[in-house]
Amino acid sequence: MNPEFIKTICPYCGTGCGLIIKVENGVAVATYPDREHPVSRGSLCIKGWSAHEFINHPDRLTSPLLRKGDTFQEIPWDEAIPMAASKLRETAAKYGGDSIGGLSSAKCTNEENYLFQKLIRMAFKTNNVDHCARLCHAPTTVAMVQALGSGAMTNSISDLAGAGCIFAIGSNTAESHPIIMGEIYKAADKGATIIAVDPRETAVTRNAKIHLRINPGTDIPLLCGMMRHIIDEGLHNEDFIRERMEGFENLNEFLQLWPVKRAAEECGIDEEIIRNVAEIYAKAKESAIIYCMGITQHACGTANVLTICDLAMLCGHVGTEHSGIYPLRGQNNVQGACDMGALPNVYPGYQSVSDSAIQDKFQNAWGSTLSDKPGLTVTEIIGLAGKNIRAAYIMAENPALSDPDTNHVLESLKAFDFLIVQDIFLTETAKFAHLIFPSSCFAEKSGTYTNTERRFQLLRKAADPPGNAKEDFEILCLLGKALDLDFSYKNSSEVMDEIASLAPAYGGICFDRLERKGLQWPCPDSEHPGTQYLHKDRFTRGKGLFVIPEHTPPKELPDESYPYYLGTGRMFSHYHTGTMTRRSSFLNREVEEAYAEINPEDAAHLNVKDGEKIKITTRRGSIITTARITKRVSKGYIFAPFHFTEARANMLTNPVLDPGSKIPEFKVCAADVRKESQDG
Amino acid sequence: MMLEKTKDIARQILEEKKAGGVFGLMKNEWNIIQPHLFEDPAELANLVLEPKWLLAKLAMRILRSSPENYKLAVICRGCDERALIELIKRNQIEKENLLTVGIACSQEQAAICLCERPYPEKLDAGEKVSGVDPFQDERVQKFLTGNDKERMERWADMLKRCIKCYGCRNACPICICDPCKLEDDVWVQRGVVPTETVTFHLIRAFHLSDTCVACGACQEACPVNIPLLYLQLSMRKTLREKYGYEAGIDPETRSPVLSSVFEKPDTDREYPAWINSLGEKDES
Repeated sequence: MNPEFIKTICPYCGTGCGLIIKVENGVAVATYPDREHPVSRGSLCIKGWSAHEFINHPDRLTSPLLRKGDTFQEIPWDEAIPMAASKLRETAAKYGGDSIGGLSSAKCTNEENYLFQKLIRMAFKTNNVDHCARLCHAPTTVAMVQALGSGAMTNSISDLAGAGCIFAIGSNTAESHPIIMGEIYKAADKGATIIAVDPRETAVTRNAKIHLRINPGTDIPLLCGMMRHIIDEGLHNEDFIRERMEGFENLNEFLQLWPVKRAAEECGIDEEIIRNVAEIYAKAKESAIIYCMGITQHACGTANVLTICDLAMLCGHVGTEHSGIYPLRGQNNVQGACDMGALPNVYPGYQSVSDSAIQDKFQNAWGSTLSDKPGLTVTEIIGLAGKNIRAAYIMAENPALSDPDTNHVLESLKAFDFLIVQDIFLTETAKFAHLIFPSSCFAEKSGTYTNTERRFQLLRKAADPPGNAKEDFEILCLLGKALDLDFSYKNSSEVMDEIASLAPAYGGICFDRLERKGLQWPCPDSEHPGTQYLHKDRFTRGKGLFVIPEHTPPKELPDESYPYYLGTGRMFSHYHTGTMTRRSSFLNREVEEAYAEINPEDAAHLNVKDGEKIKITTRRGSIITTARITKRVSKGYIFAPFHFTEARANMLTNPVLDPGSKIPEFKVCAADVRKESQDG
Repeated sequence: MMLEKTKDIARQILEEKKAGGVFGLMKNEWNIIQPHLFEDPAELANLVLEPKWLLAKLAMRILRSSPENYKLAVICRGCDERALIELIKRNQIEKENLLTVGIACSQEQAAICLCERPYPEKLDAGEKVSGVDPFQDERVQKFLTGNDKERMERWADMLKRCIKCYGCRNACPICICDPCKLEDDVWVQRGVVPTETVTFHLIRAFHLSDTCVACGACQEACPVNIPLLYLQLSMRKTLREKYGYEAGIDPETRSPVLSSVFEKPDTDREYPAWINSLGEKDES
């Protein structure tokens, strides 16, 4: 017997909570919270408590699989790896290295992401490597780098509890980052004013002091109206602007276009309320802004984030312990996957592929020539399948559910000459693969994840992968070697040391230092204690920059044929494409089937009762789902969570991209809704 | 002192094979502390007693997945001991298979927990400190005083924060019903947050009314800082004052809730105040 208790990190959201996995006879059987964890301190959300449930699911992949017509056949690793290597090589030889695309994974460790991008870049001399950050916080990295010099959350999660005002815009923190919600309540209990901006009603808006239920896609008008009022009232921080900022005159002039009256009309909020929240935010000693997908997943996502940065810097609410800008990262390791250079334009540590000095550094370190041409993004790699991109290697991503305009994605997935998918389950994407590598979940590997507050944390192996499945780390090493790369790493710790030697911001990170509480980057050397909050005294880019945001309304607005707004998002008991949560019995018990929220007035108009089927149609496609009638959504607005394979919300979404970051506009499109006849 | 004595007792238990294992906290070379089942006396060098980390439920699970005759020693504080006794009373643990090594809490810990009994009945190491009266605490008073309406508002305001993590239930050493009332669809709507959170938490509170040992595990596990322990305090107080009963003190004494089924009720008994505490009637 002798159960073991293994401390590790939660595999779900970017909060990075501490878990203790109970292991009996080599099998993970239960999850408990870690009382000593610096972020979660003995608490977990429903997903964290259930994190062990999918691990031993009978659907786990246990052998490499080779497509034979419409079925898959088990093959041994010593056939699978050479076959993958030769197919990729043949494709690169025939069509050039830029015909290969790689999707890395925000679910995998830093070390695995590092190896993945190194493999693609070295073996094929291409920068066609990206991952699902493109679908969540790509605008954050673009905009915050431009305005502040660093694309990461400025402060730490626990810093929130000391803020005087928390302005949460487009974040359903209570359901998507539940443990961070606890910090918001700590602040509220100490007297902070909580302001929530969301077209929907959520647990956040219900518990906020003020809820601004703005029209979808009108964040820029709201924020500009607030800034205009702040300047008019002289509530901006003149010292901060003079000493630390540039571009104020341009911003001030631009804001002449945004009197509060115009802002109020655009976003459907009373002028007085806009003035009031502007004053509360500006006047609090330290104010924090939390934002999430409600800001980024728009065709103007980058401009949205720039406006948030402008507001924070206008009031000097950056660079102190309890102020700051909090883009809450979605996946457990989406911060890390970005940090590790699983992006088409940068090497690890956000070092540009187009900078010749950087290119030299990596060419020397890796002993290989490398491309200086930025690569393609997730949506481009999928969209160009069978055209520019002939073969793809997808590690633990599921674009068949996560990317917009699913019908188009499914056509693309069929079009690759050769598709390798590496995952723990036969996902909707894996079903299109020619070759499948069975890999390991969070509890079956060691390595590091980086949470939303830039904290490198150690993952500890609790159990072995099932059957012949392997750790992603080992698969990458085997494939690397088969491609004649020097991938003879003994363990992930050795990979971390290599990362530290090449990316200055992580120079002081090594496994031994991460054991107890992890380390927050920047951590440039082995003595450095890590960084609780950024931009103290000086912005990463030197001076902070006010950038003029271009307001563009959503690209597809309701009209006569498609009279409803449709937005997508998450709910508390499921996670992203549901690969793990829908195989967790306790989580699936909460919500067993797809649904969409509809306002009672709309439901009455359509003669739909709660629990009845509705058909939602957009210009891309349609789904049949269950109506959940609730005032959480306004009249004319439909909300559909995107976790459900039987009614894929992304069948409906608009693949139009934000020009700055290439994020699709998941949050707004135009839809029609009909009652679905029960027998049809 | 207390630590060394605890280690000695634990070592003796293992060496004399009085139990197959000693369950407590271990600190490793990196100063990481976590629950651990000590089966080799040599490991006991790494035994620690802090921080307060409730082990009763984990211990129960170990015993329930062990061979029938496996004996387990648990290093426990007062609250852990009381929880283990309640689990014996509810037939979750065989009394014969459980040994306890009782340790005392510090005065500081007692103050943090608002603990009325910061020591186990069977104390093996450490000195007893005096208990704390939770009803003297300002934070508690804020939630338990005032008229019904005010209290209901205050509680509803707190309870609507609930994100339905089920952490209170999962962490509670005594929450062991299978199936759980919170999971049958009659009272709590599935799949929605916030939901009928008042119902959710009152079901839990009343389920535990006569068995809660005030360990505070529910509150410590709550991500949104709902003071769940306070919800139990009035009921515990009434049971003590009106029935002379306190959960977890003695494995042989039945809860009055159960004894009233088996034994003839005492007709002179008053109804406890909390029966009506959320209704219309104003206590004053």
